[in-house]
Amino acid sequence: MKKMLMTVIMFVLVSTTVLAGCGNNGGNNKPAGTNNGNEATPTPTPTTEVKKAEPFTVSLRHIQIGEAQKFRKAILDDVVAKTEAEVEGLTFELDGVEDSVNRFTKLPAEMAAGNPPKIFDLFGGAGDALKYGAAGRLLDLAPILTELGLSDSFLNLDQFTQDGKVYGLPIGGNTEGFYYNEDLFAQLGIAEPTTFEELEKAAQTLTDNGYTAFAMGSKGAWVPAMLVNTLIGRYAGPESISGFPAGTAKFNSPEVVAAFAKYEEWLKKGYFTKGELGFEYADMLNEFVGGKAGMMFDGSWRSSVFSDEAQAGALTNKVGFFSMPAVPGGVGDQTFVNGNYSNGYGFSSDLTEQELVAVKAFIKNLYSEEMQLRGLLEDGLLPSIKLSADSTSKVEDKIVKKVISIMGASGGAFSHFDSTVTSAVYKEAEDQVLKLIAGKETAQSVGDKIQAVQDTQ
Amino acid sequence: MKHPLRNPFVYIVMIIPTLILYSLFFIYPMLTSSYYAFTDWNGLDVYKFIGFDNFIKVFSDSDFIAAIKNNMYFILFSVGLQVPLIIFFALLIANVKRFQRLYKTTVFIPSILSTSVIGILWGFVLHPNIGPVNSFLGIFGIEPIFWLADEKWALPAILVVNAWQWVGFYIVLVLAAILALPKEMNEAAEIDGATGLQRAWYLTVPLIKPIISVVVMLSIAGAMRVVDIVLVMTNGGPVGSTEVMASYLVNEAMGVNPSYGLGTAISLIIFAFALVLTAIYQLTFGKTKE
Repeated sequence: MKKMLMTVIMFVLVSTTVLAGCGNNGGNNKPAGTNNGNEATPTPTPTTEVKKAEPFTVSLRHIQIGEAQKFRKAILDDVVAKTEAEVEGLTFELDGVEDSVNRFTKLPAEMAAGNPPKIFDLFGGAGDALKYGAAGRLLDLAPILTELGLSDSFLNLDQFTQDGKVYGLPIGGNTEGFYYNEDLFAQLGIAEPTTFEELEKAAQTLTDNGYTAFAMGSKGAWVPAMLVNTLIGRYAGPESISGFPAGTAKFNSPEVVAAFAKYEEWLKKGYFTKGELGFEYADMLNEFVGGKAGMMFDGSWRSSVFSDEAQAGALTNKVGFFSMPAVPGGVGDQTFVNGNYSNGYGFSSDLTEQELVAVKAFIKNLYSEEMQLRGLLEDGLLPSIKLSADSTSKVEDKIVKKVISIMGASGGAFSHFDSTVTSAVYKEAEDQVLKLIAGKETAQSVGDKIQAVQDTQ
Repeated sequence: MKHPLRNPFVYIVMIIPTLILYSLFFIYPMLTSSYYAFTDWNGLDVYKFIGFDNFIKVFSDSDFIAAIKNNMYFILFSVGLQVPLIIFFALLIANVKRFQRLYKTTVFIPSILSTSVIGILWGFVLHPNIGPVNSFLGIFGIEPIFWLADEKWALPAILVVNAWQWVGFYIVLVLAAILALPKEMNEAAEIDGATGLQRAWYLTVPLIKPIISVVVMLSIAGAMRVVDIVLVMTNGGPVGSTEVMASYLVNEAMGVNPSYGLGTAISLIIFAFALVLTAIYQLTFGKTKE
């Protein structure tokens, strides 16, 4: 009997322990979405009224970290402060994460687990916004834009739009081109290249004089892929980029292979940074700013660095910018530029009523004429919403002026292929570009291998 | 109720909580997640059962085969070079009379540092332009070496850094075993005319064989699961030359094109490899006479 009593007591003890461990706090914790994406999270009914202004926090993931992003971070801070002042009880929890870590590591994992931040930096296109949107993880912003009167304000929402739903809002626009060291060019008697021949001659002159022609940090494959992408737009035509997923363009067609071959030729001529595979994106900027390289291919988003003495040092206001010149025998309109409205903010579909109010206020404040103009003037970031001619006429920065004139004179824009092709194809493209740099693949084999993956999609 | 602890039921009931929790939070998740290895789950979309496709895909990828080879290099480097060095330095430190504690602390420090810190620190040391290693080599007219960007140097560089991080830990382990040996034995051998080298080789090393066996085992297990130092220093690059199985897993399961099904398959493969290798070692070299 005693044995039985002891056993029962122990069993009760054990059961209590286990049950206590399995209990939940009865709070708002939602089971993490495990898999299938069929469970579309219901979008809360849009409303601007909050019954009770209890303190609450909204997580905000941004990528404005480091010196080069300080102007954009200052704008974000002001938007955050303004929004917190407007929405009673709101506190933003800012989470600054490096761009590629956020895009390729943290966000995909959070999306899979179903617990992304409430507001987060997001890229448009098939591999990011559209994929997460289709899986029900992103808030459809179309009704909110209508409510806020912003439906017709954005210049381009293509990379965030699918089936009439808007899954993100670009913070700005950009084009990619060559920055060059004006002093170095003058010293070596090089004029700003206007033709492809002049560009290659400039690269050769720089190399012959012991300088790096094109600063490059290829540890992250997206950096050299920017230049490869632009060469493809020139050699195979602007339509080729959107033609890859549609099947009207092939990565191993002679025109696209010609772009890979040109990159390979430049590699063999030693135009890029020695040991580029071991250098980060930031190292590329350091090499250029340090005067060791004559040119650097990068996005117009980087322009503010060169008007900031703390970052550009001796190169302050001594940097020029030009777009990729027309290539001999290139397909299509050679005035097209590599242009994107692909990076901005997305919002979780899992929002409470209070959080939704905060999100709306955030959108209203960030995508205002005031903040967009600040982005243009202070950060050199092309606006993503339509600004008045009066506003754009205030631009004084010479690189930004040049960027605006290049975009104004262009026949149109082709996007980066990471926003048109699937993640699997883009991953293969990145792997192959790195192998091309390492000399492990040829232009033709690179094209063949990327196309092989494209064919399986 | 005089002797409740003599009642076997009490013991059974007492281990039940642990068994339940262990099953609930380890066995069950492990089994259920193993199922994903046979699916094409990407974390978002509806997944479907695809049999052994993930395993076939992994073993058809030359990058994964290269990653397996790199893991083998880690094992060979650890067991073939690191372990003899560990024993050598442990014997040296055991025989010093002064500053023994200082030596012990000094060699142990790297193993308490975070791998991220070590990776960044050595990234600076090995920097091709401003790193002290190339500056030193430059004195002899040697051209800068791209330690982490050159395919032939990147893996050896990581092997050395990884060894630098962990030898201290193992040295302290072996040292403890050496210092625990009875001093009389050593003194007797000395009286018999055995040299220091002979005493070390014929007396000390055989007596600490069990701890050496543990060190080898831990080295093999460590080499199989090595990942953090690779991710921090090269992320598997340049072009996969430093990729190990676990970094391959991270890059496939996350990154540009996440595939959690594939990632789970790779983790099962790593588990199987580690199991087989440690079993082989235990059944052969690891066997100690009772």
